[in-house]
This record gives sequence, C-alpha cells and structure tokens, in this order.
Amino acid sequence: MPHRHSILCIIPPYMMHEIVMNGSPEQRDFALRSITISEQLRAHRRTALEVMSFMGARPVRAGKKRIVYDAKNGSKLPGAEVRQEGDDPVSDPAVNEAYDGSGITYDLFFDVYGRDSIDGNGLRLDSTVHYQKGYDNAFWNGQQMVYGDGDEDLPESERMFNRFTSALDVIGHELTHGVTSYEANLAYWDQPGALNESMSDVFGSLVKQYQRQQSAANADWIIGEGLFTANVNGIGIRSMKAPGTAYDDPVLGKDPQPAHMKDYVNTIEDNGGVHINSGIPNRAFYATAVELGGFAWEKAGQIWYKTLTDKLAERSNFQDAANLTFETAGELFGAGSLEQQAVRTGWSEVGIAAGAGTGENGTGGTGSGDGCFTAVLRAIGLAK
Amino acid sequence: MTKIFFERTGGFMGRKVNATIDLDDLPDEQAELLDDLLDDADFFELPADLTRPAMPDAFTYNITVSSDERQHSVRVSDATAPDDLRPLLEELSRQARMRR
Repeated sequence: MPHRHSILCIIPPYMMHEIVMNGSPEQRDFALRSITISEQLRAHRRTALEVMSFMGARPVRAGKKRIVYDAKNGSKLPGAEVRQEGDDPVSDPAVNEAYDGSGITYDLFFDVYGRDSIDGNGLRLDSTVHYQKGYDNAFWNGQQMVYGDGDEDLPESERMFNRFTSALDVIGHELTHGVTSYEANLAYWDQPGALNESMSDVFGSLVKQYQRQQSAANADWIIGEGLFTANVNGIGIRSMKAPGTAYDDPVLGKDPQPAHMKDYVNTIEDNGGVHINSGIPNRAFYATAVELGGFAWEKAGQIWYKTLTDKLAERSNFQDAANLTFETAGELFGAGSLEQQAVRTGWSEVGIAAGAGTGENGTGGTGSGDGCFTAVLRAIGLAK
Repeated sequence: MTKIFFERTGGFMGRKVNATIDLDDLPDEQAELLDDLLDDADFFELPADLTRPAMPDAFTYNITVSSDERQHSVRVSDATAPDDLRPLLEELSRQARMRR
C-alpha cells in the first residue's frame, strides 16, 4: 500500500485533531488510528495514559496556563505574581507582552504540532519581567522565562536595547528552549548548543510568522527586530536569511554570525559560540522553507519539529541535523519527494550534504528509509 | 591596591563586554561600594567555577580580583550565581556597559 503512507504522513496533527472533533465516524476512526500510530512512533516521554487522553478518552488536557511575575528590578525569581491565565491586561506593557507572547507561542505548538505546552503535557508557562536593572537580556533558567528591560539604566543617548519582551520571537525563542530541554535536550555547547540555539530561533521566528500569517517569502527572518534603540545601526539581533548582516554598529561591532560551514567560528566564549554558529542551521532552515514556499510553519516547521522531538539527541551535530531532517522529510512526505529535496537544498546552501554517503534513505532513526508507512508498521510490530 | 577584571559573555545576543577597574582610580565612594560588594559576596571564598549547568541565553561572568596579598578568579552564570554575588555582577555589568 505504498500510496497510503503519504496520506497517513502528510496530514499534520492539527488537522487530525480537527478530524477527530468534526469528522464523520469513519473519518474520526481513521484519524484516531493515525494519531495512535504516530504517537506510538514517538516512543519516548509519553506514557500510555497520556496517549489515551490524547486520543479522546479525555481525562484532562491541561491547556494553556500562564503566569507572569514581576521581579521589580531585583534578581529573585520568580518574583511577585502580576497576571495569571484569564486575567485582563494590566497597565504594564512588559507584563502583557510576556503574557500574550507566551500565549501565541503555546498556540503555534498546539495548533500546528499538536503539542500541549513545553513538556507536551500542559506545563504552566511562567515568565518574569523587570529582571534586575539594566539587564539587556532574556534567558531560560530551566524552569521559566526571564526578561530584562534592556539598558534603561543608562542615559537615553547611550541606550542600545529596549525591553526584551518587546520582540515576540524572543519569547518564542525562550519557550522553545524549554521544549528542547524536554525533547532532544541538546547539550548547550559547541554544535549541539548552536543547534539548540537554532531551534529556538526557528520556532521563535515561526511564532512571529504565524501571528502575522506571513509566508516564507514575505517574512523578514529577523530575530529580535525592535530590540535595538534608534542609537544602533541594525535591524535586529540575527538574520536567519542572511546571517552576519543584522547589525553593523560602531559600538556593538558587526553581526558575527557565519552563513556557511566554511566560516564556522571556533571559540571557547559563549559556550563555544552557540549564538554565533547557529547562523548556519538557521540559514539551512530558511533556505528549506523558501524552497518549499507557503507558510514556513507547515512543511519546513513540521520537518524540524519532528526531528527535534523524535530524532535529535544530546550530542547531535550539524551533520546529524542535516541527515535527520532529510530522513524525517522522507518519512513525512516520501523518499525523493519535493519536500525531501528541499531539505537537501537547504543544507547544501550552508555547505552541508544532507544524507551524504547514506543515499536517499538517510541514516539511523526509525527505519531504513522505505517511507513512513513501513516505519509505522515496523514500530507497531506488523512489519520487519 | 585592588584591581578587578570583569568580562561578561553569552546572553541572547552573544555579545562580550568587559572592564578593568582599578579601585585606586575611582572616587572614594565608588571604590568603597565595590569593596563592600566584594565583602558581601565573600568573593575570595567562592569556588572558581560555578557555571554548570549551562542555561540557555544566560550571561557568563568572569571576574578576577587581585590585590597586593591575593588574587582570585570566579566564573558564574545568571542561572547559578549565589544571591550574595548578584549585586556585584550587576554593578560591574553596569560599569562595563557604560565604558564599552
């Protein structure tokens, strides 16, 4: 049944959920079976109970739960609770940005990839704003998102950064670090660390594109647009489309990101340049998405999401990511499909041969590359 | 004489800022503030490396303090810094950002 596999694999989870909710009994049955099978394929971090609840036996789907805290310019986390799920907006824009931004990020992961929050099981999304004074940064501390106000403590003529909640993709970026920690758990140094960073930029950018309903061709692919004040000569922190071109400023210097493996930066700073070399996989994703056209979160995003959640591991490097996204594209869309070719094109743009030396069938992962359906059958014990 | 070498790396942007501060060159008030913050942090008793586990986008701070009698270096991150050290990190970051 070679043509059935494409049906089974192309329908994204959000559509499956729609079918379960709204389809005819036959459609619903098909969708439920498909979801069950793809869930079994995931193999890790989901108990049978969770799979059953996911199928519609519906004990509880925890849903979107956000809390925003205010550190009041101190360092103590999480700080004082200022807005929780369902509350009306408050007068502090940083609080509302953290609330809305984490909500849109939740929506992308749930609506498009069928993921219920950071852990896939409704984990509460905690954000703290107004962290310290003059804190020109945002980070994920293993449990929550933390945002500073930029360099509001300097004289206005010297300020370079606005508050970090002001860029939606920064919020998506931080929350994706949480997702990564529950999935591939990529080590935060060298190439695995740069991949970890890149995944956060990819889904951070997709959150922004999803909110704006922008196609890959129309998106700006800038990370952190609006974070710089008018004192800085730059459009944002990073460019996924053209790494190394986001800013060029007398004080900040030039955007140091490479756009190709030949310019890979070897350094011990920044955990081995995780925010520098992420430019390489960032551009591979951009190039894949543009090659595919349409909305980047649909096909390219789905390939990257499945690779992050099912295939990448703690020590995966760029070559692994290329091979595994290629393999995933083959499973989702068929070996030799346009989608799989686009992934190869994307990585070749940055000097990495996806699936090199292993033929079209890719490496490792769930199967020998004979497509999704066989892999599914193998996973549930119906094929060898 | 006390000298502080400070460097902040990593963060969302991966930008490095640093400052070398000679307390003798500072107005008394500022030199006393830094002396107090070093005392409050028990700086010379801190372990040299407090950077693990690495947390995404957190800053990493390298601080070396040398005086006539002693020298000590500490590496910490936003996610791992002891509470008593944070005011010193904040003050040194402020100086490094202003001096850039």
